[in-house]
Amino acid sequence: MAEFFQLLVSGLATGSIYALAAVGFTLLWQASKVINFAQGEFVMLPAFFILIGTQVLGWNFIVALLFALICTLVLLGYFFKRVIIDPMLPHGVLPIVIATIALGIVMRDSVKEFYSAEAQPFPAVFSEETVSVFGAVISVQDIAILITSLAAITLLQVFLTRTRTGRCMQATAQNRAVAEILGVNVKRMILYTFLINAALALMASVLISPIYLAKFSNGQSIGLIAFIAAIVGGFNQVRGALVGGLLIGVIDNLSAAYISAEYRTAFPLILLIIIILVRPQGLLGTAEERTV
Amino acid sequence: MNSASGNVLRVRGISKSFGGVHAVNDVSFDVQEGEVLGLIGPNGSGKSTLFDCILGQLTPDTGEVYVGGEAVAGKRPCDLNKLGIARTFQMLQVFPEMTVLENIILAGQEHHGGMLSRLFGKRDAGLTEEADEMIAFFRLSHLRDQRAGSLSYGQQKLLDVAMAFMAGPRLVMLDEPAGGVNLTMLESLKEHLKVFNEERGATFVVIEHNMEFVMALCSRILVLSNGAIIAEGTPEEIRNDPDVIEAYLGA
Repeated sequence: MAEFFQLLVSGLATGSIYALAAVGFTLLWQASKVINFAQGEFVMLPAFFILIGTQVLGWNFIVALLFALICTLVLLGYFFKRVIIDPMLPHGVLPIVIATIALGIVMRDSVKEFYSAEAQPFPAVFSEETVSVFGAVISVQDIAILITSLAAITLLQVFLTRTRTGRCMQATAQNRAVAEILGVNVKRMILYTFLINAALALMASVLISPIYLAKFSNGQSIGLIAFIAAIVGGFNQVRGALVGGLLIGVIDNLSAAYISAEYRTAFPLILLIIIILVRPQGLLGTAEERTV
Repeated sequence: MNSASGNVLRVRGISKSFGGVHAVNDVSFDVQEGEVLGLIGPNGSGKSTLFDCILGQLTPDTGEVYVGGEAVAGKRPCDLNKLGIARTFQMLQVFPEMTVLENIILAGQEHHGGMLSRLFGKRDAGLTEEADEMIAFFRLSHLRDQRAGSLSYGQQKLLDVAMAFMAGPRLVMLDEPAGGVNLTMLESLKEHLKVFNEERGATFVVIEHNMEFVMALCSRILVLSNGAIIAEGTPEEIRNDPDVIEAYLGA
């Protein structure tokens, strides 16, 4: 029982990090019908911005974090939209898919080429102590990660539903042409979405890198899992991405411990196949109609 | 400029081609304050394209559009909204996941407040009272807090029109408001629009295929065929115009 509880908590913690990436995924999809196949690399890269700050430039962590925030917002938010998405968007979904896959490769190999191919130790943001709860050994870091991610997603949800800007973003996602006629500055709303996605990626990066170390290839698995989490939860729902992320984190951990560690990466994929067969709109998603 | 006073909208020589097709061909007209102008014509005659050009959703190849004397060609739809002009679409334009009230407030809010208030300000933008009044006018009060997506088609159409008037206090362009609306709802929509015009002096342009609806509502009608205006006049004149009959029947 104690072991189960430990696995559950650490599964929820990593799951909540996947959820951050998955939420960004769904936001981009809703706002501009962009499926970002470089999302995993978006989570991988900010850790290296921080390492450039701390290792190369010798700054302390906080300064490096601010530096990384600026780099992430500008490069993975603004420039990603302006340089890659805006020119590609009029040509449909497929060119965007190809372009973002290419971007992912460029990011991965640039880090490998220009920084290091080795996994880099990354400073832990939270205490690495453990506490004992009813006989289970729980890592403080896991709890802190879970709380931080959930708080960020809750805050985002409040922003989207309670503020006027959030409502305008929702309106843009639901019907762009109408939103524009009603006076919503659609272009700005879409830019906000890209900036929020970048910020979420930075957050996921800072939380996950102390666990898995910072490595150029990290994005591949994170991107895949975020994608699966978004589909499992429902691609058109922030809530869905959250549930999908948590579920996959937990299933990954429990199946590795109780069923087979060798097949652990297969279990999220099995879940994906079941969901697509049984409930293709996702657990919390609503079916979307599309005229073709 | 003096001759333009009283004109909410002036359209001058608008043309728009797609490939070799002249969707809109040198169209000019005025809309006076308080007027209900009908825009009719066979399918594919360029009515909706004309709306798109006026609202800035499409950039016309040539021509000028003036709202209250100000040239607006090349402006984005969200900038035109600031001048108090809005439209509806042939398709429903409500946001299904939001409530009726939230839809109405969203439609009205861009007229109010700066960037900071939009980020941190009150969610209703101080518009609840105005929105409630608009909802009451269109007899939707009992549905105020329901998800717009759960309303019947006719009710959504009414909400649609209410949103347009909230967003465009100066001029509203309605694209087939009666399309797909059942007869009872049609009567009530017509009545609401009539009262809205008479009591509040609302100005609007209506594209509509339902002739009885157009004839009852509009004081003046333009007929568009193959992208050009072929007739203009009162409902009575239009009804008896041989060119119009020919354009419709292809006789």
